[in-house]
Amino acid sequence: MVKVSKKHTIRLLFVLPFLIPLFLFWIIPLCLAFAISFTDWDYLSADIHFVGLYNYVDIFTDSDFMKALINTLVFGLGTIVSTIALGLLFAFIFQKNFKGHRIYQMIIFSPWVTPAVAVSLVWSWIYEPERGFANFILGLFGLQPLEWLHSSDTAMLSIIIFTIWKSIGWTMLFYIGALERVPRSTYEAAEIDGANDISKFIHVTVPLISPTTYFLFIINLISSIQVYDQIQIMTQGGPGGSTTTLLYLYYKKAFQNFQMGSANAVAMVILAIIILLSLLSTYVSKKWVHYE
Amino acid sequence: MKKMRLTIKHIFLISIAIIFAFPFVWMVFGVFKTNNEIWQEPYKLLPSHWDIAKVVESLGQINFNGYMLNSFYVGIFGTLSILIVALLFTYVVVFLKNKNTNFLFVLVLATYMLPSAVTYVPSYVILAKMDLLNKLNGMIFSCLASVFAVFYLRQSFLKMSYDFVEAARIDGANDFKIIYHVIFPMNKSAFYTVGVLTFVQLYNSYMWPSIMINDDKKFLVSQGLRQFFIQDGAYGMNWSEVMLASTLTLLPVILIFIIGQKWFVTGIVQDSGIKG
Repeated sequence: MVKVSKKHTIRLLFVLPFLIPLFLFWIIPLCLAFAISFTDWDYLSADIHFVGLYNYVDIFTDSDFMKALINTLVFGLGTIVSTIALGLLFAFIFQKNFKGHRIYQMIIFSPWVTPAVAVSLVWSWIYEPERGFANFILGLFGLQPLEWLHSSDTAMLSIIIFTIWKSIGWTMLFYIGALERVPRSTYEAAEIDGANDISKFIHVTVPLISPTTYFLFIINLISSIQVYDQIQIMTQGGPGGSTTTLLYLYYKKAFQNFQMGSANAVAMVILAIIILLSLLSTYVSKKWVHYE
Repeated sequence: MKKMRLTIKHIFLISIAIIFAFPFVWMVFGVFKTNNEIWQEPYKLLPSHWDIAKVVESLGQINFNGYMLNSFYVGIFGTLSILIVALLFTYVVVFLKNKNTNFLFVLVLATYMLPSAVTYVPSYVILAKMDLLNKLNGMIFSCLASVFAVFYLRQSFLKMSYDFVEAARIDGANDFKIIYHVIFPMNKSAFYTVGVLTFVQLYNSYMWPSIMINDDKKFLVSQGLRQFFIQDGAYGMNWSEVMLASTLTLLPVILIFIIGQKWFVTGIVQDSGIKG
């Protein structure tokens, strides 16, 4: 018998506490979710039937699902692009340290730390059509009041604004770090070549911070496709399904209607979108992302 | 000229800061307002009375302590367990690596992009089979494998010189001693950063706990807050108390964040060196 070395035992002892929950709650569930998506399981009854691609055909011909897919795309586009652009803008302002920069950074970052449920409650008051502050501000600029969360035209916009407010600080911090790492000498070299501020930004800054942009894109993609808390509190997917995203649909199918097969088919679509978009951005990043 | 630019910068940042802080400020002032005041003069920022006694009285009425304790339990014990488990795993991946551990790390790398929500149904079933549904320890156990923590700690460990570990080993230190006397002190800021982020995440979590915890004595604060908000039937019944409950919920995370912001913010700014 081979004697197991001490080093080996330590290795096993150290990795198991992480691996057991990793397998139990990530890897095995992923495989199971894939399997369940081909069944008609309803959670309550014991007999489960294999239904092939039925759930997939069913959701793709379902108008609710298509609507949720579009809502998710709108939400993703609306939040990811603005969060990254505004995060970069704020990071730029903090590029040189000045008096009080810490306090500003802290205030901009604070929404990210706070529980979505608690601040959603406050924002649902801000969005109140009759007496809320959002319409008060619009009034100051002489604009017509909006229905915000109460109208299917503006509900998604309201959720997007809230989400940007909440997530900008996080993006900003990563960009501040990235900008600090851009070597001064590169800017100086560009200046000698006669570059102005704008061309310095396009030709020096953007390429050199592209790994961070790539990372933030992926992180924001994963979190935006998993948005749930604020939607559940502020609109419950309404009005008229206008804020029902894929994950919200998944929740409703799985934990309210117990359509486990159909719900897990939705989960697989969510997964496919993330894999597809990250492969796509890896492909794009090969061309555009510069690693030193 | 330079001075003017700085002034413009400050004016711009002050207006931004107002936008970002406004909901919080308004929420805290709302605690002191009466319900009538909130409904009749919604645009008035300051309350007309600073009636502390009234706030203390409603504090006694809203019964929120249990939820806070549950969240603290999950937040504190969850964070400590996640840190220890991730530390041991990362230690092996970085300092005791072989072919197998490399494979394990690739496996973890693959899970990084996996949205956790996709696994909720099977995870729920597995928890039910283990008789861990409706239990705070079940909640902690299901969150124990933090892929993020492993990533962050690994980045930090990799920056450390391997010589320190070798030197300690030559001096006869075992792995536990190396971890305690070398790894931990040399990566303190990474541990703090991961610790605060993990605590905040556990404390703020809502979707997963609201799926797996149905017993309202075990609710976490976010669930409790929602419960409290809808229990009067119609939305917006008692805004003053809703604001009080929200403020209470926010307070711990904001406090931790303010106390820890020095190393926490710089931690993200400096340690986020993203390598391909």
